[in-house]
Amino acid sequence: MAVKREKAERLADEELMPLIGAKDPEAFAVFYDRHGGVAYSLAYRIVGDPGAAEDVTQEAFISVWRSGARFDRARGSVRSWMLSIVRNRAIDSLRAGAASKAPKLTFDDDAVLEQRPAEELTEEEAMRHETADEVRGALGLLPGDQSKVIELAYYGGFSQSEIAEMLGVPLGTVKGRMRLGMEKIRGEIAEGLA
Amino acid sequence: MSEHDRWSEDLAAYALGALDPERAAELERHAESCERCRSEIRWLMPAVDALAEAVPRQAPPPALRQRLMAEVRADARAAGVETASGGLRERLAGIRIGSLTWKPLAGLAAVVLVVAAIAGYEVGNGGGGGGNASTYASPPSSPIAAHVVSADGSGEIHLADVKPLPENRVLEAWVRRDGEVEAVKALFVPDREGNASTMLGSMRGVDLVMVTTEPAGGSKSPTGAPIAEVPIEQ
Repeated sequence: MAVKREKAERLADEELMPLIGAKDPEAFAVFYDRHGGVAYSLAYRIVGDPGAAEDVTQEAFISVWRSGARFDRARGSVRSWMLSIVRNRAIDSLRAGAASKAPKLTFDDDAVLEQRPAEELTEEEAMRHETADEVRGALGLLPGDQSKVIELAYYGGFSQSEIAEMLGVPLGTVKGRMRLGMEKIRGEIAEGLA
Repeated sequence: MSEHDRWSEDLAAYALGALDPERAAELERHAESCERCRSEIRWLMPAVDALAEAVPRQAPPPALRQRLMAEVRADARAAGVETASGGLRERLAGIRIGSLTWKPLAGLAAVVLVVAAIAGYEVGNGGGGGGNASTYASPPSSPIAAHVVSADGSGEIHLADVKPLPENRVLEAWVRRDGEVEAVKALFVPDREGNASTMLGSMRGVDLVMVTTEPAGGSKSPTGAPIAEVPIEQ
């Protein structure tokens, strides 16, 4: 018997996963309602096309539905795992040429922001927003050459050797920029938590 | 230079998924015996997670949830899991009203709705997924195309081609029941393609469904002229 929606809403992600593994639709609905927004947003950020982002998000969630039992909590949070699936599928979609538009490569365009009113955010969501703001801030503060290699890698799916070739700089330079930039973002997060 | 130092420049790229596959596999083999590498990768992972969280937020189209839940419920049924009966949303899953396209999950109910959208009249009963479904469309003179689908006593309204709303406005649906106008619980906003849907709840005694734009947070009674009206035959 499937768990009731109200009960599923009280469960942590890690507790939902065994239920999803047991094919419980209500547990899955709660899981989607928690993470569908960010998943779709990430997919859209990468593929740059609403239809392709929808397809990527659908495939990713169905993959979780069918393999939920394979989540290994030792490797991080459920949300991180989910978003890594979305990111990988979005990059695959880009590489397959399924998306019609190139990804945006900067955070300058803030035209499309969170559409829900702030008062609807839960405390956890609000914290995530703060972190997101800090990361956007940190990326904005990074020297352009560091943020560029990070964005090309994470949102564009390019390997560091491809990036070196695209930018016409030595591979070692790309590695150094990537390391410095990521360390600064990580430092910013640690500072925000302190 | 230690073996760890030789790899340390690659750890950020590895965390970002930007190492070439062969190099990544090599690093993983090395990391099995290098606690410092494993620890540095663990330290970097929150930065990778934050890149995912930092994207500008977009609202996923409601039809995406409907398609997913339809597939999931079908899987659960096939697996023999007892579920609450799939709602109207799920039975109509897969439809993308704005472009009149749908995915294979939709089933007969979706076809019924598309026909109604084109024909603009009540389709009749018994269309969808095992329950009694009726579809009503707004008259051609309506500023916004709207369709109400009623099944098993509950209704859902779909709008298409809605222009983007100002940040401080939302769509609110109303039902007229026994001559009284009642607000529908859920507020809704159109997606990027101008589609918007919301559940209407019980359709018992309802003879008219309306949609107005209201201030964020909604209103207790309509504050402006309806942008869509759908008569319901009882």
